[in-house]
Formats: sequence, structure tokens, C-alpha cells
Amino acid sequence: MSDTATKDQKTTPAVEMVSLTIDGRPISVKKGATVLDACRQENIPVPTFCWHPKLRSVGACRMCYVEIEKFPKLMVSCATEAMNDMVVLTDSEKCREGRKAIIEFILLDHPLDCPTCDKGGECDLQDNAFEYGLSDDTRFAFRKARKIRDKNSTFDDLQIGPEMVRNQNRCILCYKCVRANEEAFGEYDIGAYQRGHNTEIDAAPGGQVASLYSGNLVEICPVGALTSSDWRYKIRVWNTQTVPSIDPYHADGANLTLWKDATKVHRATSRMNDDTDDGWISDIARYGYQIATSERRIKAPLVNKNGAMVEVSWEEALGVISRRFKEVKESQGAPCLAGVVSPNLDLKTLHAFNKLFRGALGSNNVDYRSDYSNLPTDADSTYGFMASRSFSIDAVASSDVIFVVGSNLIREHPNVHLKTRRAIFEKLSWLYTANPIVTKSADCSTDEMIYNLGTDEVFLNGVTLSLIQQGLADKEVDTGKIETLLIPNTLEKCAETCGVSVERINECAKRLANSKSPTLIAGELVSNSIARENIAKSFYNVALLLGIVQGKRGQAAVLAKAANSKGAEALGLFPEISATQTATLKNQFQSFPELAGANWDAMLSGAQGEDIKAMLIFGANPVQTGADYNHIKKSLESLDFLVVADLKETPTTALADVVLPLSSFAEYDGSFTNLEGRTQDFCAGMKRIGASLPGYEALNRIAQSLGFSLYADLSSLQDEVSELLDSYNAPERKHFLMESHFQAPPAPQENSLPLFAGDALHHFGHWTEMCHSLLEFNPEAALEISADLASRLDIQTGDSVRVLCDRGDKGNKGEKLILKALVSDILEGDTLLASHNFAAKPVNCFTSRDSRVSYVRIEKIEKQ
Amino acid sequence: MAEHKLLLAHTDDPQHKTVAGYVANGGYRAWRKVLTSMTRDEVITEVKASGLRGRGGAGFPTGLKWSFVPKDSPKPRYLVCNADESEPGTCKDRVLLECDPQAVIEGMAIAAFSIGSHLAFNYIRGEFDYPIEVFEKAVEDAYDNGHLGKNIYGTGYDLDVVTHTGGGAYICGEETALLQSLAGHRGMSQMKPPFPAVEGLYGCPTVVNNVETLAVVPHLINNGGEWYKTFGTEKSAGTKLFSLTGHINSPGNYELEMGTSLRYLIEEMGGGIPEGRKIKAIIPGGASCPFMTADQIDTPLDYEAIADAGSMLGSGACIILDERTDIVWATYKLIKFFKHESCGKCTPCREGTKWLTQLVERILNGEGEESDIDKIDNICHNILGRTICPLGDAAAMPVISVIQRFRQDFVDRIKAKDVLPMEQFSFN
Repeated sequence: MSDTATKDQKTTPAVEMVSLTIDGRPISVKKGATVLDACRQENIPVPTFCWHPKLRSVGACRMCYVEIEKFPKLMVSCATEAMNDMVVLTDSEKCREGRKAIIEFILLDHPLDCPTCDKGGECDLQDNAFEYGLSDDTRFAFRKARKIRDKNSTFDDLQIGPEMVRNQNRCILCYKCVRANEEAFGEYDIGAYQRGHNTEIDAAPGGQVASLYSGNLVEICPVGALTSSDWRYKIRVWNTQTVPSIDPYHADGANLTLWKDATKVHRATSRMNDDTDDGWISDIARYGYQIATSERRIKAPLVNKNGAMVEVSWEEALGVISRRFKEVKESQGAPCLAGVVSPNLDLKTLHAFNKLFRGALGSNNVDYRSDYSNLPTDADSTYGFMASRSFSIDAVASSDVIFVVGSNLIREHPNVHLKTRRAIFEKLSWLYTANPIVTKSADCSTDEMIYNLGTDEVFLNGVTLSLIQQGLADKEVDTGKIETLLIPNTLEKCAETCGVSVERINECAKRLANSKSPTLIAGELVSNSIARENIAKSFYNVALLLGIVQGKRGQAAVLAKAANSKGAEALGLFPEISATQTATLKNQFQSFPELAGANWDAMLSGAQGEDIKAMLIFGANPVQTGADYNHIKKSLESLDFLVVADLKETPTTALADVVLPLSSFAEYDGSFTNLEGRTQDFCAGMKRIGASLPGYEALNRIAQSLGFSLYADLSSLQDEVSELLDSYNAPERKHFLMESHFQAPPAPQENSLPLFAGDALHHFGHWTEMCHSLLEFNPEAALEISADLASRLDIQTGDSVRVLCDRGDKGNKGEKLILKALVSDILEGDTLLASHNFAAKPVNCFTSRDSRVSYVRIEKIEKQ
Repeated sequence: MAEHKLLLAHTDDPQHKTVAGYVANGGYRAWRKVLTSMTRDEVITEVKASGLRGRGGAGFPTGLKWSFVPKDSPKPRYLVCNADESEPGTCKDRVLLECDPQAVIEGMAIAAFSIGSHLAFNYIRGEFDYPIEVFEKAVEDAYDNGHLGKNIYGTGYDLDVVTHTGGGAYICGEETALLQSLAGHRGMSQMKPPFPAVEGLYGCPTVVNNVETLAVVPHLINNGGEWYKTFGTEKSAGTKLFSLTGHINSPGNYELEMGTSLRYLIEEMGGGIPEGRKIKAIIPGGASCPFMTADQIDTPLDYEAIADAGSMLGSGACIILDERTDIVWATYKLIKFFKHESCGKCTPCREGTKWLTQLVERILNGEGEESDIDKIDNICHNILGRTICPLGDAAAMPVISVIQRFRQDFVDRIKAKDVLPMEQFSFN
């Protein structure tokens, strides 16, 4: 284990300090810091182009020269380590001369087209030339070299990605885009081509710059060489103001800045927060603000009048809602009312929703998990326990071993994905991924273990057994009866069943056991499985044997998916809440229903029966994103009365009697609690669209129409939220190994292929369909297919493919959709991925609530 | 001090490139001796004692370089032979690869052993079609005869040698760029530290040595380091290959003891200048070295003396320019080369070489102004010492020396405002 030996040296915290003098000021910095770090720590200005705080210094632009005593040459401060007793000058004559020469060199061929350049006003070259550049005439007497690749055009701009325009004339070749793409994102779709003065930054031959993080490349470009199609020529940056915001989709909670003028928001950029995002945001977070300005927004309430949805005033809509809700409540009782809320709405809205149902209407039937099925019914489920473990995103970057099971990490948690890459890049950490499908993480994982479909817990049990067999398990855990707890109960049988060899499981277990700060992550493939409780138990067992759940080291959790899932959990937006939560809520709501509530599963079956009669669906779109399209649709159709509030029309609003227009996150102040439990505020960037209202206001108006009030003023609502968050305690339990029995799923029929429905790379949920920039990346529902399978079936990207439901048991049989094929360079084997982000293609008609794996058959549609 | 054939002793023997011929001439004795009776430290001590300095141009002590490789690193270590010989005027490594490839292999093997490496790469210039062919055959031959591969000579030591051909970039002769290229990246030089000995190929400790340096190593093992010191001067030990080109009667590769005078190389070995013309300038160590003038012809050819004379020994590529040479044109040819070969990573080199080319070209076209001379000098000083790797210096130094030593040629040229047809300038 010589490699772990070096890791130990690396992880030993060395808080050794170094003292040096900069411009006469004594400065003390951590050992290993660069001179530039020291300058920045003391706010001493040093100009840079190629340097970025999260990238390795390369010293390419040479702008950050400083003079250091005893060094004959000017030194680049970004790549010179601060040493004891160094005497540094940052503003000497020699320094200024050196920097001036660099500006002169850079401006030789840089067009001075600042008046029409989109970077104008926020350009490093403008700023640095202003401060350090020439004061009089240029010495350069030659014509500037123009680079136009497309000889038929007179324009310098070249579209190199769906949202990226390149102007090579402006490029100062700092290589920051190429480096960030490789180092931070692990992407290789942008590169430097040709050599020397002729070097060109371009998309890879025949390709486009279209990774999930492409927008960051534009953002870090120090000049106007890379600009974003979305932002170009919209507005000059000095005519905008900024407000802080938060990624409203992912649970990572990446920090954003919204750039707005008096009319609307024009773009979103990152707002560096090392705890969550390191200044990198996914394109979904970047272009997702477009839901605020989309033409597809609902602008007024709609009421179903004789089969047609008619725009009405809020008063009229509220009149209908209050009349029908009262009718149902009086004739059938409060427990016939149910509410489903989206975990992508802010905390105040979630709490107001809870208060409306539990406090005002008297029904415990609330849930935020409408994307899932087979939810746990008892308050102390192991799944719930593992989902509520504390987790730090930044700690991932300093973990020495990261273990990801059942998660397509890049699509679920773009920032956690980047932190894992950082751990590998900076700390040479080990990443083990275990999935039924190949994911992007495969390219940087030590071992990408692909287990057989539907054998998640068997793989995890294999790790458990391996830890015990190798004597690596936590000594305080009683492992005596392990054979009776697990099925299958030997490592060999587990390996055989899950398809990952004993050697690989042993290696992974050994590395985990020797880790000082392991991170264990379980994701959506676990959460979405109908066997999730069983898988959660197996996951818990591994975390227990490693001493993680007992708090001895590291972290392990099933990660929450949506921006405010964790908030919904802490606020108690589900029926089986804990006694503490109940007590706090009772106290806040005055009245509280006694009857236990129905969860989402029960609401659906209740609607088809006699138990649920009216429902309020708030921001969620289960008909499109929940499992089993027909089941959900049939259930909602059986209701007497359905109110749906959303930003846009969806397959769910299509079933509603009343549709209410909601405002997007960019139109009101609010907060989200991210997967770590970190509550972050976001601010309004623009006026509300049409008659739309923020969720909490809409809910209060519903309550008022029913004769209640949810809050006197917003601060009292906020206080209640804070009280709940402060008093929230993750469940605790006594620790012992759990039982996990595997039942083999039925064998698929011949020629049928497994299919997962989920988010496309550039989409999240059902709202991003409104973002025109994201549609540039993924314009329509795609069927992702491995290159191998595609070649066997003679399918190419863009081909139309007919997908047929293959389940023989239930009503979905015979469902079919035509999807566009997308040959994936990541997927392997026969598994298909279908994107559920598009209302026109309800791919959840293929998924099921009662089998672990959905199977379909596909056939290529020959072009006529 | 005179000619002494150590490396070129057997280059005329066509059999010498085979293992059989090489062994008949005493080859692979050193490798066997190292594996069977020496420790890594003993090898390094012997090389240190010899005073051998890197023959690629920088002249860094070879033994010292090897000793920088961390002994306790758990990572694999690599030995890389730098055969990306592309300095204008230099053709010494080529002759070794073509005529004495087994010596290069033996040197690589010993160097690899000394740093505990089991995988050695030879990064050969891509244009070297014939040397690549010869070398690859030689490696195969060495494997077949048990000098490479698994369990060599039954000692349990494994060593593989892999040939890698370059893609046609001069910059890849610079060690950090070479390692980038070898690892499959874009050939661009990297900031040091970290030095390759600590973090090189694939982030692992790596030693990069020149072909000639490695070819010397077997001699050091066979005869001892002290023996090697009997050649050459105190600080510049041994013999050195010189590639003599330009206006000279007998151009070619010559092996001289270090410290032999430049005059000996030009007059005794090269047979003087054609038609008894006078020397105008001498570039002593390849295109990146400052020009020397005719009156410096008695300078001894060793690292220190040449440095004292304001130039560098470099790779030992001695280019002679006779009195007919248009210095402005020669400067243009040089700077154009460096502009073409700049990797484009750091600003001063990328932009500066291009600007210099434009300025010198303008003078050559009779459109220059006298102020251009100082401008050229100033631009050179804005490049010199300001770049990541020595390519920037290599471009600036010869131009600075030319402006300093041949300023009048530039002034005359600018004043004359004439455009001379290019054929005037071709050699002989």
C-alpha cells in the first residue's frame, strides 16, 4: 500500500506559514501560496490575463510580472512560490516597463473594436491597457493580421458551439478556456490548433463546444474572443445592474449573479462560492433564467369553461377554487383534499403550501416527491435516514476516496461532479463509480463498475461482505450474523449476480477502508428504484462498516435532487413527518389535522378510488416527469377538481379545472436549501410576468378566498420558516447491520432493451423547455443510445426511432413514441436513456411503478 | 587539444549498428557490468566523477540531473532520450542514431537503471525517416539478443525501450514541451518548477537526456569517470561533436576534445573557407547562439570560454558565414525560423518574434528606417528573459548580438534602400 502512504503525507494538514515583504509591507501566507496569492490576500493589485483562481498557473500571458530581490529577471507572480524573506516589488519601474511591453505585444494584432465588442466594459484587456499600457503612439507600423476562416464571409465571428461565438482576432491566447475545459470540466471539445502566432482556439474538428459547462468558457475569457450568443448585442454591460441569485434547478445550490436592467434579466453568470461551486456553473443554471422571459409563460389564470381554457382574473379563478374546495371539504371531508408541491419552489412557498393544507384546510395529504414512486410510509425508513445525512459539497474536493453508486452524477449534481474531478486532479484521489450504466465519471474514475440492471443492493452487499471478509470493517459493529441478513450472502454469489468481479469489489472495499475522509454518494438511480429502501439499507451497511454514519470519518448520503428538496424535507412537506416537526408545525398552525396523510403514491390510488377528490398541484408536473404516465393521468382525470399552478402549460395543466400563473425565481425574493442543508437567498431581478404571482402570494390568496390568512406580512412567514429550519434535526437511530434481501427481477423478453427516463444533459425537469439557449443544445426529446447498439441497429444521430412499450402486464402495453436518436459517446451496452423534459414526448409512458427495470423495443423509421 | 574519436570511432563500420558488430567492438560490456555488479548510486557517482555535461545545449551536469530523481517516490520513473534534433545547423545526433544506435540504446539502458526506470522512450524527430528506421531495427536487435526486455542477463531487471516520433515541432526539443508531446498533449513548454526530475512524463519523475550525452555513458562505465576527465578542460570534460556547416570547404561532423580552438575546427578539420575568403561571423553552437566575429577565432571550444566570448557552445553546431554574407538577410532567416517555431504559449515570444520578423523583412525590402534598429534591439530585450522556455531567449540573443556587432551593416542596408535578389545570399 505504498500509494496510500504518500496520500497520508498529502493529507496531513500543514499550516506552515511563510513571511515575505511586498512593497514594503510584511506579509504572511500559507506555505505553497504563490506571490500572486500573497498580493491578492493583501489587495495589492497585480494585473493578470491567463490566471484563474481555480486553475493551475501556467505563466502564459506574462502580465503579472513582479520584481523580486536577488532574482535577475522579472518573475511571473502567478507561478512563483512565496518564500521566506522574499522582497517583492509590484509597482517598480522595471515591473511597469515589463507589463507595458506585454500590453504592447498583445495589442499588436488585437483589433481595437471595443465600441462594437460585447466584452467592452468588462474586458481585462481594456482595464489592463488603461492602467499599464502605452501612453502615446503605437510603435507597430504594420497592418493588423485578420483571421477569418470562412473565406466567403467578411465577418470575423464563428459560431463554435450552440451558445458560443468565437472571434479569433480578439483572442490573446491565454488558453484559459482550453485549460478550464480540460482541468476543471474534463471536457475536450475546445482546443488550440495551429502553432505560434497562428494559433487558433476552436472546437474540436467536426464538433461543437457543447459540454454542460460551455458557458463558463465564455465567462472566463478575458477579452471578447468568446462571446455568448444569448448575451451578444443585447445590452451594454454598464447599463445593467446585478442581483445575487441561486441555481433554481439543481440541489447543489450554485451561486448566480443576474444581470438586469429596468425591464428584465439579460443573463446569469457565476458568483464564486467555494463551498458550493468554485465559480463554475452548469449551462442549465446559466441559461435557466430564460424561464423568466420566455414567451411560453402563462400570464393570467385559466379556468376550464366547457372544455376550453379561458383567461380570467385572479378573483374569478379564486372564486372557482374556493367554491369547489369548500364543496369537496364539506361533502367528503378534508382528507379528500390533497396537495403536491414542486421542490423547485422557494422555502416561503413550500411553507405556505404546508400551512394552507395542514393549517387551513385540515388535510395531511401533502407531498413534494411527485417524481418518485413507492415512497416510504414510515418516518424512520433507512432511505430517509441516508437521505438526511449531513453532506458537504466542498468536502468532496478534499476526500481521498469518493464512491458513487447509482448516480449519473453530471446530470444530477453538476457541481458535485466538478468537485469530484477537482479531488482527482488536485489530490489524486480515488473515484469508484458503480452504476448500471456508463456515466461521464467513467473517464476519471479509478474503476467504473457496471453492475447488472436491478442488482444495486447486491453490489453494495458485495462491498459489505468484502469489508467483513478482509477484516476491514469497523470493529465496534457486530458482524456476526451477516449470513442471515443478506441474500445472496457470500461475496462470490454477490459478484456473480451483480456482474462485478470479486477482485474489483475487494479492491474498492480495501481502498474505502483505508481512506481517511471517504465520500459516499448515492443518487437518482437509487432514489428512483422501486427497491430503494432495500438499496438504502445496503448503502447504510457499507457506510456503517466504514464508520461513516457513526460520525467517525467522511460522509455518506443519498443526495437530494432538486434546488429545494432538502428544504421541503426540513419544512415537513410530506405526510410521515417526525414528532418534532409535528410539534413545531402544530404550534405555528394553531390547528393541525389528526388523521395521517396520504403520500403521493396513496394520493394517486386514492384518486382512482374514493379517497381523494380534489387536488392542488403547485409547480409540479407529474404527468410528464413522474413514473408511469397512464397511471398518473388516469388518477388525475378521476379527480372531481384539479388546480395546477405553474409557469407554463404542461400535460398536468391540461387536466386541470383551474390553472394559476406562477412567477419564476427571477421575479421575487426567496431562498432555497441546497443538498447540504445550506439555505441561500436569491433576489428578484425583474417585475413579475403578467398576472403571475410568487407561490406564497398565490397560496395566501387561495387561503384568503377560503377565509384564512397564511401570513400577516412576509417577515412573519419567513420567521416561521427559520424556526422550522433551526429546529430541524436529521433522524438518529441505533446502529446495527440491516437486512437486505435481493429478489431477482423477471428476465426481459427477447429483443427488449432497458430504458431509463430522466433529464437530458442540458435540461432539468419540465421548465427548461422554455429556455431557448438550452434548446440549442438539446432541442427535443432524444433517445440516447450507445455507439455499439446504434451500429448494430444501423441508427445514426438524428434518425427517427419508434419506441414501443414492452411491458405485458399493465395498461401501458402498446404505448409508443417516435424519438430522435442521439448516439452517445459515453453510453455502452444496450441501455437506453430517454429525456423526460419535453411535454410533447411523455417518455414516462414506458416507465413503471411496479418493476425495477423498464423494457422497450425500438425500431428505426426508414426515411421515405 | 585536437580531434579525438570516441563517439565517432566506429561510425564508418556498417556492421557496428547491429548488436553483433557492436559487441565485437566492445559494446554492451558496460550495460552488463552495471546490471551485474553496480548499484544505482555507483553509476551516478561514476557519471558525476566524469564531469559529463548535457550535450543538448544547456550543458547541465548529467550525473547531478540523475541524482535529482527522488529515491522514495512510489511513482514509476521514466528515462527519455531527446532525439528531436532540430536546431538549425545541428546534425550530430543524427549520425549517432544512424551509425551507432546500439551505443545510444546502451546509454539509455544505463541511465534508466541509474534512476530506477523500467521504461525508456526515445523521442525522435519526425523528419528523421532513416534514423528512425535504423534505430527501431537496432532496438529490435537488442531485444532479440537479450540486452533489453524482461530479466536482462538473468539479473531480474526489466527494461523496455519505446520509440516515439515527433510531429515536426522544434519546440519539442525543449524538455517540458517534449514530455507534453510524448504524453499526447500539445507540444508546449511548461513552467519550471516542477522540474521533470520530480514531475515529468505523466506527472512522474523523468530524466531527459540528449542522444550524444547518452552515447557517452557506456564509455564512462567501461573506463571510469576519471578517465573521461583526462580529455577536455577542467570544467568542460571529454570530447564533443561539432557539426560544421556554412561557408566551409569540408562541412561535417567532427569530434574534438573540449577546449580545442575554433580555429582548429575551421582550418584543420573544415579545411578553411572556400576560395580563401574571410570569415564575417561565426555562430558557434546552433542558431540560438549569439554571433561571434572573425577576431574571436582563437576562442577555445568549451562551455566557459565561449560564454566568456559572449556566446554559447550550445549543441556544437558551428555555422560559418563568410565576408559575402548579408548579415541582415542571415538575421531574417534566423528570426523567421523562431517565429515559425514559437509554440505560441507565452506572449513575448509569440508576438515578439512575429514583430521582429516583420521589421527585419522590411529592412530587407529596402523600406526600413534607422529607428528600426533600436526598435529591434528593444523588442529583443522585451523578449529576453521574459519567456517560459529558452526559445524566446534563443530568438532574441542572436539578434541582439548582431545589432551589437554588425550594427553598421544594418545602417548601410537601410541607407542603401536596395532590394537584393535572394539568390545572392545562397551558400556557395
